[in-house]
Amino acid sequence: MGDGAVGGGARSAALTRQAVLDATDEVKGSLRSVEAAFTKLAARPADPWGWSLTGVFTRYLDQGSKQVTWLQGAIGSATALTEGASEAGDTDMELGLLRMTGPKLQAAQFGTLLMAAWVDFLHLADAVLRNCPMCSTEKLFVDLHRVQGLMEPTITDLASLDPERVEAATTAMPELMGKLTREFDTLQRETRETMKLGGQIIAAMQAVEMVAMISTMKLALPRVPPSAPATLGVGLVMSSGGVMVGSRLVVSAEWVEMMRRLVQAGVISVPAVGAAVLIQGGQITMAQAHQDLPKGVREALGDSPEVRGMQVTGRAGAGMSDAPKHHVLPQEHREWFERRGFKGDMDIDQFCVRLEQAHHEAIHGGGDWKLGRTWPGEWNRRIMEALRDAEAEAGRMLTRNAVLDIVADRMKDYRIPMNFTPWRRR
Amino acid sequence: MSGGGAWQGNIKARLYERVRARGFDSLTAFADARPTVPLYALADELGDDDVAAVQVLSGLLAEAEQSKRVTRFVRDVLVRLLSQSLPNGWPAVLDDENLFKVAKALGSWSAYTPETHKERARLARAALRANPPPAGWRPLGPDDDLLRTILPDEEA
Repeated sequence: MGDGAVGGGARSAALTRQAVLDATDEVKGSLRSVEAAFTKLAARPADPWGWSLTGVFTRYLDQGSKQVTWLQGAIGSATALTEGASEAGDTDMELGLLRMTGPKLQAAQFGTLLMAAWVDFLHLADAVLRNCPMCSTEKLFVDLHRVQGLMEPTITDLASLDPERVEAATTAMPELMGKLTREFDTLQRETRETMKLGGQIIAAMQAVEMVAMISTMKLALPRVPPSAPATLGVGLVMSSGGVMVGSRLVVSAEWVEMMRRLVQAGVISVPAVGAAVLIQGGQITMAQAHQDLPKGVREALGDSPEVRGMQVTGRAGAGMSDAPKHHVLPQEHREWFERRGFKGDMDIDQFCVRLEQAHHEAIHGGGDWKLGRTWPGEWNRRIMEALRDAEAEAGRMLTRNAVLDIVADRMKDYRIPMNFTPWRRR
Repeated sequence: MSGGGAWQGNIKARLYERVRARGFDSLTAFADARPTVPLYALADELGDDDVAAVQVLSGLLAEAEQSKRVTRFVRDVLVRLLSQSLPNGWPAVLDDENLFKVAKALGSWSAYTPETHKERARLARAALRANPPPAGWRPLGPDDDLLRTILPDEEA
């Protein structure tokens, strides 16, 4: 069963829930500073010559604010699911619900990071507009448009909150951050050269430099590496204080512990956490590369053969990602479930599982033995019968948690892992 | 919890291979030696990642049909579901929590009862509701007196 990796006990579920809450708080905090930066930029009065991020540039500010809306939605969903998990009576179901927060948290985390990078670009653009009259506004507009285009496909994937799309976008993030860092560096260098040509005063030059130097302003983008490192992850070392690169702390030991919990419970995948560590460590690259962390760091983050095995059958699984999705709570009874609290972030479309079609080999076992054949007919009939007759016995409507409790028992009887994936509406 | 292996390969062959390896020549004999063990635990014992409880259930039903002892099988399933939901026996007080445990066991029983016996099982549930068993009642097998009263053998 691999229960050791999943952590069967209620204590383990409580620790996982705490890790999800901590991770949610962390993303919330980052998003708040991104939002504050957008608000501040929008509110900055134009300088005496009338330059600021207004007019044609307004769209770039709006672009940021638009993303904040879905990011807050994703965080809200994760919070609602965590609350639902804390009420679930069955420990495996609680972990199943906590795992459902994973794609939402991951999308919020990396979406916020991209928005922080966008804030960096807007700060730079603001500084250019105010301090470099020689710089071409048209060029700046086009440059920002190009950067926006670079981020767009990833943002679309993250905003979909679809587990597979989020996972793919996440693991490609170090590469994207590499491209963005180089764009930022180029924009800054070109501005500097234009200003030199124009004999700009030192103060104006410094204003542009500042954007790149002051860490409180520069939220996301790491420095451009001297040259792309030959192997990613080189130089990252696990120490008692956290992950270090040289003498610099990349992420704290507390962060590593939080992520280890989430990885071991199957909430977040090792590649996703790896991408976050690589970005924090400035280990970005232009090229698509095999992004792996040194073994010591990976182990500290909870990577193990069991966890990898779980992910193969889980939401990020290789072989299972093409298997068809099935509703655990039968669709034809949607209204019945709605009346019992399966709405919004907990509606029945959130409770799907991937199942292989009847395996060819199973045919040799006889017709009664194929899951593909018996699902969904047999499953649907049995689950509704168990729920309806339990309700008749109790003489009252079942609560959402009571329904989940009975569903958890049936899933165990069928050995259906509690790895839920949302139904994709096209 | 991987469980991915339970629906691969020759399920029936695997089930009987495991039963024989434990010294039994039928699933029924294997289950009879563990009369109050829940179905999921029987499955865990036979293969904790490649045997599912509903497969054990199907196998037990197939054997019961052959030996014409389906009613006994239906009682047997109830014993295991009660033991799973109410390990300390029938509750003395039917508060919300206990009421749900009873309801869950009986609802699940209904779902696991074959079509041929659904009506009789429904009547048995009504009988239990009308005359609740004494507190602490914990049937130790399909031949429990109370169970045989509410769901007597027909085939014999």
